[in-house]
Amino acid sequence: MPDDKLATATRSTGDGAAVNPLREGLVSDRITNPCSAVFFGASGDLFKRMLLPAVYAMRLNGTLPTDFALVGFARTAYDNDGFRAYCRKQLELFMPEGQKPQGELWDDFARRISYVTADFNDTRHFTALKDRLAENDEQLGTAGNHLFYLATPPPVFPEIIKHLKRSGLEKSDTGWTRVVVEKPFGTDLESARVLQSAIEAVFPENEIYRIDHYLGKEPVQDILALRFANTIFEPIWNRNYVQNVQITSAESLGVELRGAYYDHAGALRDMIQNHVINLLALVAMEAPISSAADDIRDEKYKVLAAITPSAHAAVFSMSARGQYGPGTIDGHGVKGYREEPDVAPDSNTETFAAVKFYIENWRWAGVPFYLRSGKRLSRKVSEIAVTFKPIPHRFYGESTDRIEPDVLVIKIEPDEGISLRFEAKIPGPKEHVRSVYMDFNYGTGFGVQSPPAYERLIGDVMLGDQTLFTRWDAVERAWEIVTPILEVWQNTKDFSFPNYAAGSQGPESAHALFPDWRHL
Amino acid sequence: MSIDLAPVLDELNERSRERGSDVQGALMTLVVFFEDAAIGELARDRIHTLASKHPARVIVLDGTLGPDVARMEAGDWIELGAKDCSADTLRSAIAALRLPEAPLVLLWIAPGIGDDPRFATLSAAVQTVVYNSSLVDSGHEALCELVEYVEHHPRLPLADIAYLRLAPWQESIAIFFDGKDVQELFDLCRVEIACGSEPEGFYLLGWLASRLQWKPCSEHSLLTRRGNEIEFEIRREGEPRRISCVALSSAHSKFVAEVDKKAETIQLSVTGSSKHPRRYRAISNPGIAALLERAILWGQNDRVFADSLSAAGEILACGRR
Repeated sequence: MPDDKLATATRSTGDGAAVNPLREGLVSDRITNPCSAVFFGASGDLFKRMLLPAVYAMRLNGTLPTDFALVGFARTAYDNDGFRAYCRKQLELFMPEGQKPQGELWDDFARRISYVTADFNDTRHFTALKDRLAENDEQLGTAGNHLFYLATPPPVFPEIIKHLKRSGLEKSDTGWTRVVVEKPFGTDLESARVLQSAIEAVFPENEIYRIDHYLGKEPVQDILALRFANTIFEPIWNRNYVQNVQITSAESLGVELRGAYYDHAGALRDMIQNHVINLLALVAMEAPISSAADDIRDEKYKVLAAITPSAHAAVFSMSARGQYGPGTIDGHGVKGYREEPDVAPDSNTETFAAVKFYIENWRWAGVPFYLRSGKRLSRKVSEIAVTFKPIPHRFYGESTDRIEPDVLVIKIEPDEGISLRFEAKIPGPKEHVRSVYMDFNYGTGFGVQSPPAYERLIGDVMLGDQTLFTRWDAVERAWEIVTPILEVWQNTKDFSFPNYAAGSQGPESAHALFPDWRHL
Repeated sequence: MSIDLAPVLDELNERSRERGSDVQGALMTLVVFFEDAAIGELARDRIHTLASKHPARVIVLDGTLGPDVARMEAGDWIELGAKDCSADTLRSAIAALRLPEAPLVLLWIAPGIGDDPRFATLSAAVQTVVYNSSLVDSGHEALCELVEYVEHHPRLPLADIAYLRLAPWQESIAIFFDGKDVQELFDLCRVEIACGSEPEGFYLLGWLASRLQWKPCSEHSLLTRRGNEIEFEIRREGEPRRISCVALSSAHSKFVAEVDKKAETIQLSVTGSSKHPRRYRAISNPGIAALLERAILWGQNDRVFADSLSAAGEILACGRR
């Protein structure tokens, strides 16, 4: 072998492929493997609103492999051309202006789309899928790499996994196989364990990508950069300086058309068990030894392992729940939860959940972490607020002045950024102080648009990077943490429901749990 | 020649008083220098776009106007006449007007940097220098000057818009050689680049040469580490500052990346033994404001860029010998 061929062949990627020396320093410096992506539930809402636009945006910005195929797999009957037309129509609706499907790029993308009309219980349809993937490998150069995206309702997941195995699609002779599982991962601890058993019987953990799109949001990823790419925060990021941590994920929307699902889920399952607990883990974790996926996920798990689930008897002192009634949002009257479509008129489902956790480790012992999430609150906001302890000795300000604690806020939605509140002297001869704010906003700070979360996450699956996906041990632990609360709430009807008006700050009981919630 | 900064400083102080205790954030002080009125007009327009996204203090050093021009415009925007001003005059003006904590970025759009003490003085004082070699000169003189300057000032924190413009082409060419096709890279024997301005063409060739360790051996050829000869041709063709086609040939295959008629996509075709169905990649031409943004955020201290510039310089030098 000539010298330079030898040099190249001896440098290889993790999966054994030779490194392309032209990739170094490029935006796509990691090789995006050719692949076929199969979307189960491709006629559904998630696919048309989020996944298809994300994949097409990847095509537009060049992060999708050029040798790519998209296979829709769902019950609705389409032939290939019909599904292509459906995809085009959805992209016309959901892609922003200037990125609508057109020209040769769309023609090429469309050529790579196909569809299998399927019953998820019928192995023959999975055999047809297998044939389609073999055709793609042959004709579109997808190299035997197969991504299976479960975008169906969760009860169908085990059936799909079972049939993937039966039809021999659980592995590929020539490439990789990866399965993406949408949240919710189970509806409680038991069902999550059953689902995990079904999946792990077919796929090893390093091929399972449990997606929580929240983790793909840029400000969420920036939590680690804020903490571990700076020296000024980490020394005070502990029980010696932090009074409490509040994590909020509030929406002004109601359940919309998801009443049937939501009435069996509630805020604790829908948001706290996954999104909000994931944020808690990122805020509270120790520094990982590297940025490798499992080093980060190990540290996240340790945080969850250090939270002791409440005893049943303590649930009411550690949590608060609410359900919205009629109210006003943005000047418009809105219905109460029990009047929403597909919601039981006497529903006991919480649309607001607030919980207090303690992380029992050296860093955080004694620091309360307050988590809340709810629908139909006064505004949409997701943020993490770290409130620092009061000053130990006061000599500034007049006795009537209130000296507020310093607060660092990591803003996730709607304005992505970081804000610090601190005290400053008001100019003049008197020693008055008042709070001032320093604001960093991603939009103006970098001027670059954060890629939508699904775009980033689908790209990571193609690259085999599991960092932003939740590992089973963390999913299981999160269920263990919320299970006592779920059980008590399910078994105890709350006769105060509805107990907060749409458009308000949430129920009074949340303020009894913690009077100093940040104003929404 | 000196510049009377008093009206500008007074206005800055007045605005500061009016603003009161409101905190105002800014990412940088952006200093723009040009000596051509048409370039200046274009630059102002693009900098407005950039400044609307990145809060910045903009100091325009207009080399077409005398130093009697010193005024504040709307926004945090300062216009100074810089014609016939010495390097020290400009340096002291910037020192007086810059935001004290924010990084200083110099966008220099004028030829003759090698002999210009103003460039030497200002570039030594800033955190990032952004150059645009193909806007200054569609031939290769500006690039040659840059190469020579960087040879003498290797720590210059430089980004060149002409190089940043290549990103979609670099990505497209890399696609040809992913996976098993990587070995084809070592059998290449000819490179053809069609471009509207030479800097982009030489940068692209320099990038290939530095990544693959090719060395120039004559005006139109390079040598691989094995001693195989690679012919190259850079053709002036198409829109200024744009590449229109890159063709790479090996003994058995030809790899062609070509822009479509609407300049929206790069079509990738491979014929011969590595034959591959036609592929497409969006150009997503980001525009000069976005390129400036990239230059400021990520452009400087890029080793692949430095290697490409150095290799382009070697190729140009070999051609001149």
